[in-house]
Amino acid sequence: MPYRLAEQLEWNLGDPDDPGTLFSHARSLALDEREEFPAALCAVLDQFGLYEFYIPTAHGGRLADYEQLVQLVRTVARRDLTVAIAHGKTYLGAVCVWVDGSAEQRRRLGAAIASRLPVCLALTESAHGSDLLAGDVVAEPAADEAAGHLVSGEKWLINNATRGSLLSVLCRTDPAGGPRGHSVLLVDKRDLPAGTYRHLDKVRTHGIRGADISGIAFDRAPVPAGAVVGEVGHGLETVLKSLQLTRTMCAALSLGAADHALALGLDFAAQRRLYGRSLIDLPQARRTLAESAADVLAGEALALVAARTVQTAPAELSVVAAVTKYLVPTRTEAVITALTGLLGARAFLKDVHAGGRFQKVDRDHRIVGLFDGNTLVNLNSLISQFSTLVRAHRRGTGDVAGAAAAFRLTAPLPPVALERLSLLARHGSGVPAALPGCLALLRDAAARNPAVEPALRAAERLPAVMDEVHAEMAGLLDARTEVPPAAFETARRFTLCFAAVACVGLWTHSHLDAEAGATGPLWRDALWLRAALARLLTALGLPDAADPEALDGVLDAARALHAERRLVSLLPLALRPATPVQDGPDRPGVRAHAHAAGGAS
Amino acid sequence: MIDTSTGSTPQPAFDPAPRQPTAESLARWLVQHVAAYTRLSADAIDRTAPLTGYGLDSVAALSLCGDIEDEFDLAVEPTVAWDHPTVEALVAYLLDALGPRPETA
Repeated sequence: MPYRLAEQLEWNLGDPDDPGTLFSHARSLALDEREEFPAALCAVLDQFGLYEFYIPTAHGGRLADYEQLVQLVRTVARRDLTVAIAHGKTYLGAVCVWVDGSAEQRRRLGAAIASRLPVCLALTESAHGSDLLAGDVVAEPAADEAAGHLVSGEKWLINNATRGSLLSVLCRTDPAGGPRGHSVLLVDKRDLPAGTYRHLDKVRTHGIRGADISGIAFDRAPVPAGAVVGEVGHGLETVLKSLQLTRTMCAALSLGAADHALALGLDFAAQRRLYGRSLIDLPQARRTLAESAADVLAGEALALVAARTVQTAPAELSVVAAVTKYLVPTRTEAVITALTGLLGARAFLKDVHAGGRFQKVDRDHRIVGLFDGNTLVNLNSLISQFSTLVRAHRRGTGDVAGAAAAFRLTAPLPPVALERLSLLARHGSGVPAALPGCLALLRDAAARNPAVEPALRAAERLPAVMDEVHAEMAGLLDARTEVPPAAFETARRFTLCFAAVACVGLWTHSHLDAEAGATGPLWRDALWLRAALARLLTALGLPDAADPEALDGVLDAARALHAERRLVSLLPLALRPATPVQDGPDRPGVRAHAHAAGGAS
Repeated sequence: MIDTSTGSTPQPAFDPAPRQPTAESLARWLVQHVAAYTRLSADAIDRTAPLTGYGLDSVAALSLCGDIEDEFDLAVEPTVAWDHPTVEALVAYLLDALGPRPETA
């Protein structure tokens, strides 16, 4: 199972509560306090061989399963989001080449990453923010055209701009600009003559304080003809397809932060005593924790479906990635805010509860909603797909078989086929289209087990909400230039519906296998599904959607998992090995293998 | 479950273009759509100016491919409006792609 390697990574990194562990919470807090780049912690990940998972197998690496990559990144993010971002930026920097690069570029970049060189993606500029086509960094043909391009201009707010050796840089290659006026160039700093580039100072930030967020200024930097990724003028297409992959991966960052925050909340509520009782026994605290756990599980369900969609339905990723990049960070922010209320003053105090880790998670996570396309950019991406989505809903189109393969966690994933990525999901998404089939499965399950009936009753409300949301979308089809606020609200409602269907799909296609595993209590009687649907339907504004019984059950299951040192997750992930790991934390390149402990396979 | 992603059946067009479109009928159809998206009057759309000049951003322009597919039962790349960025260029492309079509019953 793809999450087994994440478990290995977790064990390999060692007990984060033990200050003697290299990658400990204590060290993360100290580095953050000093705003210092976590070089030693990135080195630990290198020793594990994490960078190999940023390189597709076809180009010499070990990336063959995007669900596995999500679980690995989530594991690092759970410990320290700053490190996950600092290290994971290499994947972000490389992805344009995996999507559109030449065989030679892929070979060279694969070799560079394998020699542990950091790579970064340089899109944004100080004056233009998320407006990719407004950039002023230009690549002019060199006097001798065969010699390539001269790059000039400044890229700013770039993760790893200073530390990165190679950069994927979006440059204007047609003075007139426009959607075919930009190209991605793979710039290798090691080949640039002195004086043709300089770094811009690290920007101080409130979160991920240790990250290298800086900039780079080029001055007629000569890059060879072979540096253009894909065709000249096709840079926007390359970048938008690549962002579908990285936005899917951002869910892993949010899930890791949510895991960390939820664990701190559970610990705090168990330890803290008020009015002669444990905080966990007070109804308001229980409710906050239960809702948080349900939201984390719903986010995990969506992220799993999205990661698997990369391989099961790549042509539909434009929808799935935008939904996921909007919803998972947004819902995670809400979870952290709710838990802040639970922790009270301790959420803000640096040394009182858990060394002040909560306030670091809170600060660090805020960046996830901002970078790689902020929440508005992702909702806008969905708004521009309204006409396709409305048409697909009317006709019932979408890759339903691809969605079913994403829902079935034990189904082997088809090989990665990035050439099938599309800027637009022409026939919509198979996830919403799968709803009737999933409801039929849920009805069967409820007929066999009456305890599933509450989940069925909640899920049966979805077709009407879907119709309503698509009718709203149909009324907004002319909103392509001046997007009215109502369109953003409709897009938000679409993402909630989409997540709800993903939850129904995941449960109906995976529960039989999962019920036998260590997280069985969450899956049996559709417990987590009831809680997730209650939360999503409530967010959609549906009356009488609450399900306190299911939330109570989810909290009990979450507490039991947490007490057993398992992750609060749909998947059975043990945070400690049953027996201590024999080798030290520096054991290189642990290979994936099935572990005996309670698998869902 | 049945994969319905391929071979979707064309729906009867809402306001069908003539069976054998001409440059003028295509241009009128396109102008009508661009005008609706940008909330401008059809007169305000210059057939030789880039569509992006009317505030139709590059991502929004991708959805034109669905309208074209719906109207003409012709699968085009989502980037069709990027590669043919004016009404005039799109008309030329569509005339060529539609070609003389065999009569269907």
